[in-house]
Amino acid sequence: MSAEAVLLPGPDGGYGTDDDRVGPADPLRFVRRRFDGHYPIDPFGGDPQLQDLLAPIGRLTLPVRVEGPGRLPEIGPALLVVNRGLGLAEPVALYQAVRREVGRRLRVVGIPDLPFVGDGLRKLGSVAQYPEDLGAVLRAGHLAALPLAHTWLRQGAGTPPVRMLVAALGFPVYPVAMVPIGPLGLPIAGWRVRIGEPIRLDVERGSGDPLAAAELAEAARLAVDDLLIGD
Amino acid sequence: MRVLITGMGGELGTRTAQLLEALPEVTEIHGVDFVPPRRRLRHAEFRRMDLRDRERLATYVQEIAPTHIAHFGVYEPHARTTPRQSAAFTEATTVAVLGAATRTGALERVAVRSGLVVYGRDRGQPAVPDESSPVLPTTPFGRSCLEVEAVAVGLGRRHGFPVTALRMAPIGGSHIPSPLGRVLRLPAVPVPALADPAFSLVHQDDAARAMVAALRSDHDGPLNVVGPGAASVWQAVRLGNRVPIPVVGPAWSAATRATEFAGAPMPPHVVELLRRGRTADGTTAIEVLGLGPLASTQAVCAELFEWATVSAIRPDAAVAV
Repeated sequence: MSAEAVLLPGPDGGYGTDDDRVGPADPLRFVRRRFDGHYPIDPFGGDPQLQDLLAPIGRLTLPVRVEGPGRLPEIGPALLVVNRGLGLAEPVALYQAVRREVGRRLRVVGIPDLPFVGDGLRKLGSVAQYPEDLGAVLRAGHLAALPLAHTWLRQGAGTPPVRMLVAALGFPVYPVAMVPIGPLGLPIAGWRVRIGEPIRLDVERGSGDPLAAAELAEAARLAVDDLLIGD
Repeated sequence: MRVLITGMGGELGTRTAQLLEALPEVTEIHGVDFVPPRRRLRHAEFRRMDLRDRERLATYVQEIAPTHIAHFGVYEPHARTTPRQSAAFTEATTVAVLGAATRTGALERVAVRSGLVVYGRDRGQPAVPDESSPVLPTTPFGRSCLEVEAVAVGLGRRHGFPVTALRMAPIGGSHIPSPLGRVLRLPAVPVPALADPAFSLVHQDDAARAMVAALRSDHDGPLNVVGPGAASVWQAVRLGNRVPIPVVGPAWSAATRATEFAGAPMPPHVVELLRRGRTADGTTAIEVLGLGPLASTQAVCAELFEWATVSAIRPDAAVAV
């Protein structure tokens, strides 16, 4: 697929919202629109108005401090590769950081295929852990986050999912480290988000080269590790 | 270009014939179906016949010796036919028409109507499949579509002609008979109680345009034809100002019987859509076929509900046409 083939997300995701840029929350309008069905659903099942409505809650519960926010792309497709512990805290904190710094909706990869839980997370902008889904998100011009494997006690970066990175070949990939702020590595005072330099790899988009994906995976893991140690 | 349109009696077949009539490179248009076309055609020729009469169908196709086939002879259960009829018609038309056309040696290209149903919605299938995703149909219509694709692709490989399978999202519009449209237009619609899956639709005109573009392109392989954006099941129901009836697990079979009683039978692929959703990545088709802007899913959904109910004209009312 050529570079021109990537569509930039349009300003109108339906009903005056944008499915890439965040918008203001308006609870009254939200309720009215729920009732008459006039609200947008993006192609991945996300609900932009619900996201805007719930964003202040996330902002209060998960404070974030971002290092290198200038590196986050303001427009166009990109993948953030991020470390995580056991729970959902890191992806949610990163979602908040991206929302605050560049005003974009982050698509976190890896929702479980479960009724209710999976559906709720999909509405909040997550996508399932399939290369096809990640590929579609990037081709549609969105910013996605791919968490590495879970790590107990958050020591170092986890194993990167090589199968998923095949879909990211040819797109800009940024390493991101999430460091908890607080004693004993507990995120009492929130999260420090370190954004690294993009990883450059000379591969064509959509080549599906598994070896290149493995190289990208290794590079991403090392980069996240470096950012984690970088105190 | 000598085009044969199977399923010309349907909304899509008729519309495709109309679009082809406007093209200078199309010299002849022939069509076959079990019902006559739904709109006026200027020079396309139509033959009405029983599609299960394989011999007659094959003779007819051999007489025409088409260079291009637009295969709309893929009948969705409960759209215009019963599930049993639709399977029989689909199988008979595919085998007889494609087989006979291959024998003439004139065939250059085939485009078949397929559906996103071929991907299936089993656990472990991506939510937004692209054309490279594995096909694991989970419903009778999905298996039917996949068989049609397999027959066409098999013949194409052996006899050296390209085949484009257009995997279309459920087709919506103001006139098209579709089981999903009928269910959504009921006053009360069954929806999953614990989920709100997303689905995409494609407008009938866009589906016909995609078929014409596929006949003129040189693409070989499947393409997802999907309207941009998505709608969720709960939202679609409210968009039409209908009452959502939450349904869980085993109650779906009762819901299926209830909607059938209300005049909108739900075949398994429609139940699957309501319970698990159905979307796909359609960017490749837009790029390869040069489709330009397509009607968005929500626009198609809104049009579905704008279909006014048929009202009888009072005998004393003056009718001006």
